[in-house]
Amino acid sequence: MKYIYLIIFAFSIVSCNNTPYVQGKRLFAANCANCHMEDGSGLGELIPPLNKSTLLGQASMVCIVKNGIKDTLFKDSTYLLKEMPSFSHLSATEVTNIINFINYKWQPSFKEITILDVEQALKTCQ
Amino acid sequence: MNFNFLGIAFLFLLFTACKNNQQTLPFLGETIVENGKEIHHKVGQINHYTQDSTLLTNKDLEQYIYVADFFFTSCPSICPKVAKEMLRIYNEVSDNPNVKLVSFTIDPKRDTPERLRLYAENLGVDHKKWLFVTGDKDATFELANTFFVAAFEDAESPGGFDHSGKILLIDKEGHVRSFSEGTDPSTTPKLIDDIKLLSESYNTKGK
Repeated sequence: MKYIYLIIFAFSIVSCNNTPYVQGKRLFAANCANCHMEDGSGLGELIPPLNKSTLLGQASMVCIVKNGIKDTLFKDSTYLLKEMPSFSHLSATEVTNIINFINYKWQPSFKEITILDVEQALKTCQ
Repeated sequence: MNFNFLGIAFLFLLFTACKNNQQTLPFLGETIVENGKEIHHKVGQINHYTQDSTLLTNKDLEQYIYVADFFFTSCPSICPKVAKEMLRIYNEVSDNPNVKLVSFTIDPKRDTPERLRLYAENLGVDHKKWLFVTGDKDATFELANTFFVAAFEDAESPGGFDHSGKILLIDKEGHVRSFSEGTDPSTTPKLIDDIKLLSESYNTKGK
């Protein structure tokens, strides 16, 4: 019987990891990391890096994650390869978790956004 | 007793170390023996156009060892990861004139030479060193099989194609000599070592 407490104790230590945004991390791995890479470094001029993005902490991230982006990020005429697909299947909660994880990871001074913020921002998407 | 055991272990280490020095890369795929001669598996017919719209055939690649992968530019799944590893290899071999990289698109309908050129330019790579090629779709699927890469159309896959992310090393004679998993960056250093090993084997042969 004593061992059960020991196991629970050990488990609780293991499950305490350093990432506060566990769902965001998981969703990032599933939806974003294939292109933006796990370390957020992107790929050449093809895929913009997240770790140095000027959009970090901006509310416009919400619409980009949800609806993708076609040409506004890039000024030249070669944007046809620079299209980010939409992730319309993500719920407002999931978008919130992803954005908080991205900001937490690459913008340490970020202000956490809430589901309400995201729902508000989604109304402004074009 | 302990000392003896150590001695044996040391000898064993020496033996395996020596063996490593003489290492040559295996020939992947089936090897048949005809008239007492070993015939190794070769990659199929390359008849593709590069991002500069020039024709590329197996003959053009005879002077080079090359690193190949199969991809498409609008691929939303594994391709960027594989491309990142190809780029890592590209940077490692940029000084070696014996090595080229060849990326075959499996989506020729969308990936015209012009589009491949844009892709290469956005990656910032030398068009003569890293060739992005397009050709007949079915012929490319068949060609992929000879590189031990599965590639086929699949409406349910992201982007409409299913394919594996292997990166392959081909020698001057068209034999497959090594590979890495483009989706697993930890397998890339071994492939880079193999490229150097294969390249040096031609230098010592005086070819």
